[in-house]
Amino acid sequence: MADATALPRARGPRSLNLRLWLPAAWLSLLALAALLAPFIAPHDPLAQDLLMERLPPFFMAGSEPGYWLGTDSLGRDVLSRMIYGARVALFVALIAATITCLFGSTLGLLAGYYGGWWDRVISRLVEIWMAFPPVLFAVLLVAVMGTGLFSVIAAIALIDWTRFARVIRAETMVQARMDYVDSARIGGANRLTTLAGEILPNVLPSIVALLMLEMGIAVIVEAILSFVNLSISTDDPTWGSMIAEGRGAIHFAWWVLLFPLIALFLTVLSFSTLGEGLKQRFDPVLQ
Amino acid sequence: MTKHRHTLDVVDLTIEIPNGMRLLRDVSLNLEPGEVRALVGESGAGKSMIGKAVLGILPSALKITSGEILMEGHNLGSLSPRARRAAVAETAALIPQDPLTALNPVRKIGPQITDPLVRIRGWSASEARKRALDLLDRVHIRAPERVMNSYPHELSGGMRQRVLIAAAFAPSPRLIVADEPTTALDVTVQKQILRLIRELQRETGTSVLFVTHDMGVVAKISQKVTVLFAGKVMEDAPTRDIFTDPGHPYTRALIAATPSHADPNRSFSPVPDSLIADLHRQIAQDDSLYRGARP
Amino acid sequence: MLIRTILVRLLTTAVTLFGVAVVVFTLVRVAPGNPIAMMLPPGATDEDIANLTALYGFDKSLPHQFVIWLGGVLQGDFGTSITLRQPVDELVLGRLPATLELSIMALVIALFAGGLMAVLGARHRGGSTEVGLDLTSGAVLSIPDFLWGLLFVLIFGVFWPVLSISGRIDPRMEFDFTTNFYVIEGILRGRFDVVGSTLSHMLMPAMSLALPLAAMIAQLLKQNLKEALVQDYTTLARVRGFSETAVILREALRNAALPTLTLVGVQFTFLIGGTVIVERLFAYEGLGNMAIDAVINRDLPLIQGIVLLFAALFIAINLIVDLSYTLLNPRLRHG
Ligand SMILES: Nc1ncnc2c1ncn2[C@@H]1O[C@H](COP(=O)(O)OP(=O)(O)OP(=O)(O)O)[C@@H](O)[C@H]1O
Ligand SMILES: [Mg+2]
Repeated sequence: MADATALPRARGPRSLNLRLWLPAAWLSLLALAALLAPFIAPHDPLAQDLLMERLPPFFMAGSEPGYWLGTDSLGRDVLSRMIYGARVALFVALIAATITCLFGSTLGLLAGYYGGWWDRVISRLVEIWMAFPPVLFAVLLVAVMGTGLFSVIAAIALIDWTRFARVIRAETMVQARMDYVDSARIGGANRLTTLAGEILPNVLPSIVALLMLEMGIAVIVEAILSFVNLSISTDDPTWGSMIAEGRGAIHFAWWVLLFPLIALFLTVLSFSTLGEGLKQRFDPVLQ
Repeated sequence: MTKHRHTLDVVDLTIEIPNGMRLLRDVSLNLEPGEVRALVGESGAGKSMIGKAVLGILPSALKITSGEILMEGHNLGSLSPRARRAAVAETAALIPQDPLTALNPVRKIGPQITDPLVRIRGWSASEARKRALDLLDRVHIRAPERVMNSYPHELSGGMRQRVLIAAAFAPSPRLIVADEPTTALDVTVQKQILRLIRELQRETGTSVLFVTHDMGVVAKISQKVTVLFAGKVMEDAPTRDIFTDPGHPYTRALIAATPSHADPNRSFSPVPDSLIADLHRQIAQDDSLYRGARP
Repeated sequence: MLIRTILVRLLTTAVTLFGVAVVVFTLVRVAPGNPIAMMLPPGATDEDIANLTALYGFDKSLPHQFVIWLGGVLQGDFGTSITLRQPVDELVLGRLPATLELSIMALVIALFAGGLMAVLGARHRGGSTEVGLDLTSGAVLSIPDFLWGLLFVLIFGVFWPVLSISGRIDPRMEFDFTTNFYVIEGILRGRFDVVGSTLSHMLMPAMSLALPLAAMIAQLLKQNLKEALVQDYTTLARVRGFSETAVILREALRNAALPTLTLVGVQFTFLIGGTVIVERLFAYEGLGNMAIDAVINRDLPLIQGIVLLFAALFIAINLIVDLSYTLLNPRLRHG
């Protein structure tokens, strides 16, 4: 413990800042692209043009000006589809992760602080949930609810709440044993006020870190569901459907896979790095 | 070698932390073959630091900035790390302070004693085993076979310290560093362990550097004493003389501060704060001179 | 005392499995779309549909269906796949070896690579090697298996086609094995061509699954090693002449491995969960790939069978980990 915390601190605030700013910069860029998609996308992401199919990206022979990252097997512009895909990715990340976080953290706080039956029921539920392979569970849920953005978001929340519940429950239990909780109670605070006023602020850094992590995971889950053709409609530009397309056409147009893959790598890495960085910055113990 | 050879020579040893603060200040001491030297001083004086430096296990942040350590005449500082490790293992052994953490919890006692004999010294397994059983017997462990097959958590603290003493003496070292080997034990066991170390030391003629802060123990076990304060040697004298005629005010205060077991009612007074403040002031002066003298 | 703990564990396990059964049963029943209608040709009469519905028991009430199904499961009868028209248990057990071999290979890679990184980091602790290893494992850890799989597909599919990126074995390979454990049976029969082909197909999916776990092991094991390396027994070993590497391997590793083990157990179940998508990605003929097909085809009995098998597998692994933790820890063994 001491070592883990000492290491980043020893490397000073400078590197911590860099680890916050680099991911923040990428995510802001992404957000900007998502918001301004209709203005900055060079082409209609849905426009098929069979004369322009499988054009390579700009640095290769045979590329066409204006199609910077090439086109897919139906002649759709890869860059434009990626820009529009960022909309879906970020939307799912924000909404799904927030819902998952609220739901899971609440259960974790209740189980960890109230204990007793709360804890027994929630823990057993977590245990049952953990016995499902998450991807299969997600695929199954979306198949049950029907494809569409709402189903994807619901599926993510219904599967991943356990991550929050487990971690927050454990941390709440640690906090609940601390002296300051006792003194707050002796001071006359009731249990709910104590939970919200004393314990919540102390587990908040973990919640924030998990929330960030969950955003990255949500992006991945959406991509996976698109990949198996179960996300929103198959025509809509999402990174996952581009990847599915690219996987199929890998021997003819690998760029259709490469560029969304790079976007996914950077996005997932950014979310988790940002989460860790924020946690360190706001953790009262590390201050 | 015609020159009279010490088992251990520590000459003007200075150890610093990275910011330049000195933890040891020109410490010198020696041990003749078969001799027990007590190293006393208050907590934080640097007693363990000397033991660690001698055994080559200083934390990596700490640096020896001057002075040398000679073990049976070999200058440890001039050896490569690998050769130093071999030289220390060949000559010296350690009896640690806390027997609870000094035995590996997931390994049986037997191999923990015989391993160094077999792997470092190249004994055969059966020789090593015989030696371990013999030593366990000599530290008065009644069922050596069974203890060899036990895990540390199955033994009491006193038993574990006996095991560690046996392990220390097993390779017949010429030097043993005993770092407060009894402080973690309860009082009745302390006496037995102390007696045991003295017994084995006499039988084997091993030199012992015995770290303690208990002047009562000093009187019982040692022939020579080094008194340490804030990393500086205050006094170095035969044990006899120290009690009859302490040469330094700090030594006198330490003796006065020791409760007497013979006469528990005798009043004892803690080391006076004014004396400690005086000593610190002197050392601070030394330090500023030392810094000024450095390039 | 130990017996009691084990009994309690087994009982909660049964409760969990029952819960899983309830959840999966409810889920697949509330799914829209009539699976029976899907399996009949367009011209089928209502009577045909009714007959088939009765055959699969879909005409009864939900609780009734559940009882029938659970009764069957308890007798080892998992029903018949709607699309493949074979008993579910045969199908599932036929695919299980592929998934098991893949998961175990991934686990071995993760343990080996993670262990190596941890030992290296602990050996060079405090130096730039450790910082470098920390940054690497941190980055590797946050990228999930799906993305690693895609990366490998890209690398070995396009830029450096030395390994196959789809299937489980070279389809031209001729052999006649009694089990579907190609690697294990291949070794036993001395058919190393089969073993080689299977392993080369397995390597990249296994790497994708292994990398995040390897990074996690690297971090946690190193942390635990560093904690062990300041304990007095390691100091004593250094004084006795053991080199730093020997101290790590002989004294610290076993102590550090114990707390790491519990985590590896849980993470191994996550890894197996990851096979579902990774198998899909590499067109690897395992359980997960079959599961996704079953979902897409609304093959209810097959879905139920597969999910239940996964759940049983996860629970069994956690049980084994708990048990081996007790057995490996001398303090608990005698306590
Ligand atoms: N790694 C380190 N970095 C900086 N300072 C250290 C380090 N290790 C020890 N010290 C300091 O060195 C001084 C001497 O420590 P040492 O352990 O030798 O004391 P001691 O005389 O053995 O005391 P005790 O009786 O409590 O064991 C202490 O003031 C301690 O704070
Ligand atoms: Mg000490």
